[in-house]
Amino acid sequence: MTDAAIEVENLSFGYGQTPILENVNVAFPSNRFSVLLGRNGSGKSTLFNIMAGLQKYKQGSVRLIGKERSKMSFSDCARVLGFLPQFHKSVFPFQVKDVVLTGRAAFSAFTPKKSDMEKVGQAIEELGISHLADRPYTELSGGEQQLVMIARVLVQNPKVILLDEPTNHLDVYYQTYVLDRLKKLTENKLTVIAIMHDPNMAFLYADHCYFMKDRTVVTPTDEFDYHASAFLEYVYDVRFTTVMVNDKLMVVPGR
Amino acid sequence: MRKVLTGFLIYGLPIPLLLYSLTVGPSQGLVFADYWDWGKAALQGDIHESSTKIYMLNNIIENVRLPRVLLTFIIGAGLAASGGALQGIFRNPLVDPYVLGISSGSAFGAALAIAFPLLHINVMAFVLGVASVVMTYSFAFSNNKSSIVAVILSGMIVSGIFTASLTVVQYMSDPYKLQAIVQWTMGNLHHASWDKIETAALPVGIGIVGMYLMRWRLNLLALGEQEAKAVGVNPTADKATLVALATLTTSTSVAAAGVISMYGLFIPHLTRMMVGPDNRKAMPANIFFGGSFLVIIDNFSRSLMDFEIPIGIFTMLLGAPFFLFLMKKNKINWV
Repeated sequence: MTDAAIEVENLSFGYGQTPILENVNVAFPSNRFSVLLGRNGSGKSTLFNIMAGLQKYKQGSVRLIGKERSKMSFSDCARVLGFLPQFHKSVFPFQVKDVVLTGRAAFSAFTPKKSDMEKVGQAIEELGISHLADRPYTELSGGEQQLVMIARVLVQNPKVILLDEPTNHLDVYYQTYVLDRLKKLTENKLTVIAIMHDPNMAFLYADHCYFMKDRTVVTPTDEFDYHASAFLEYVYDVRFTTVMVNDKLMVVPGR
Repeated sequence: MRKVLTGFLIYGLPIPLLLYSLTVGPSQGLVFADYWDWGKAALQGDIHESSTKIYMLNNIIENVRLPRVLLTFIIGAGLAASGGALQGIFRNPLVDPYVLGISSGSAFGAALAIAFPLLHINVMAFVLGVASVVMTYSFAFSNNKSSIVAVILSGMIVSGIFTASLTVVQYMSDPYKLQAIVQWTMGNLHHASWDKIETAALPVGIGIVGMYLMRWRLNLLALGEQEAKAVGVNPTADKATLVALATLTTSTSVAAAGVISMYGLFIPHLTRMMVGPDNRKAMPANIFFGGSFLVIIDNFSRSLMDFEIPIGIFTMLLGAPFFLFLMKKNKINWV
C-alpha cells in the first residue's frame, strides 16, 4: 500500500450559514490516478479549491505530503502541487509557449531563466503538443487548449496535480487522449487527482474512484464495490444497468 | 524583414525623431542651413560668440522645443505603458489609463485650481487623480470582493461624478478662466518647460521602470486570477503594484499636460500588432513607440495649421477611426 499524497480529515466548510462540506474524510494515494465523482453541487469543486489552497478552511485538517495545508505559503505549495481550474478562456492571443511559461512564475520573479524555457520544451513534448508551440493559444481547439493548460501545470514540476473536470467540453478523441496522458504521468512518480462526470471513463482509466454525495465523500459498504449499480444509484439518484464489455464493467443510465 | 522594420520603428526611431522634431515649429524664416550652423556651434560650444540668429535659434531650441519634445516623449511612453499594463491586469483590451477615473478627477482638480487659485494646478490635478483611483477601488471593494466588471463600473461612476463637478466649476467661472479650463482638458503640451520636466520625469520614470520590470508577471495576470493562483502566485500583490505604478504615471502625465484622450488605448493595440501579445516584448515597445508616436502627433499638431491643434483633440481624431478600422478588420481579440 502506498502512502497518501493528500489526506483530508474531518473537514467541514461552509459559506456563512450554508454548509458545503460536512465531515469529509478521504486519502488520495501517491503516484496513482484518482478520480472524484458525484452530482453537481455535491461539493467536489469546493473540496478541490481547499486542497489547492484557493479557499481557506477552519475545521478539520488537510495534509499535503504530510504537511498541513493551511501552514504552507503560496510558493511552498507551488513546489508540490499544480492545479488546473475549470475551463479557461484567454483574451489576448498569447503564443502557446508563453502561456506554458507562466507556469514558472512562482520560481522566477521577473524574467524567466533558460532552465524555465527548457522545462516548457519538455512539458509540451511530454504531452505531444510541441507542434503547437508558436500558435496563438486563442486559435486552438478546446482539446488542444486543455493540453496546453496541463503542460502549464507540469512545468512547475509538481508532485501532485489536481484537475477540475479536465475532460469537460472535449470530444471523445481528446477525452481519451487527455486521460491516456494523465495515466502515463503517474508512471513518472506523479499523483493525479481529477474531478470527472462520466463514471465509465473513470472506471476505464482511474486507479481509484471516490464519490461525493450530500457534502461528503461516501464509500461503498462491504457488500458491493463502487461498480455496483445500487451504490451508483445512491450517488447519482439515477437508475443504472450494469453491463460487461470485454471483461470491463460498465454502467448505462436509465432502464 | 518585418522583424527589422518593427525593430527599427520601436528602437531606432526615437533618437532621429527627437532630433528632427527640434526643427519643427511655427517660427518663420528658418532653413536647414540655420540648424546646421546651430548644430556645429553647439558641438563646438561657442553659441554665445556666434551670430544673433544662431543665438536666437539656440534659445528657441533650448528653452521651447527641447523641453517640449522631451516632455511629449516621456508622457507618450508613460501613457502607452500604463495602457498596456492596465489592459493586461483587467484582461480587457478596451481599458485605457483613464478607466479608473483619473482623467476626470485630474481635470476637476485642475479646474478648481484655475477657478480658485489656492493650490498649484499640477498639484491639484495629481492629488485628485490619485483620489479618484482610490474612490474607484473603495467602491469596487465594497463587498470584500472585486470583479473586473465592478472596478470598471465604479470607474465610470467616479468619472461621472467628477465630470459633473467639472461642469459646475466651468459654469461658475468667468470666461477667461473658462477658456483656460477648456484648454487644459484638451491637452496642453505648449506649456512644456524644464520645470515641468523636472517635476514629471521622476514619477513617470519610476512608473515606467516598474512596469518594465514586471512585464513578464503581466503575462501571468493577463491569463486570469484563478490561473495565477493555480501555479502558486498570489496575484493581488502584483496587481496592486501595477495599478499603483500606472496611477502614478498617468496622474503625473495628466497633471503635466492635461487630458490626452485615447492614446493609452490604441498604442498598446498597435504594438501588439507589431510584436505580438507577449508583454516581455510589448512593454518595451509601448514605452519606446509610445514616446515616439506622441512626438510625431505633436509635430503635426504644431505645424499643420497656423494655430496649434490641442493634442488631446488630435489623438481622439486619430484614435477613433483607427479603432473603428480595427473593429471592422476584427484585429481586436476580445471575447
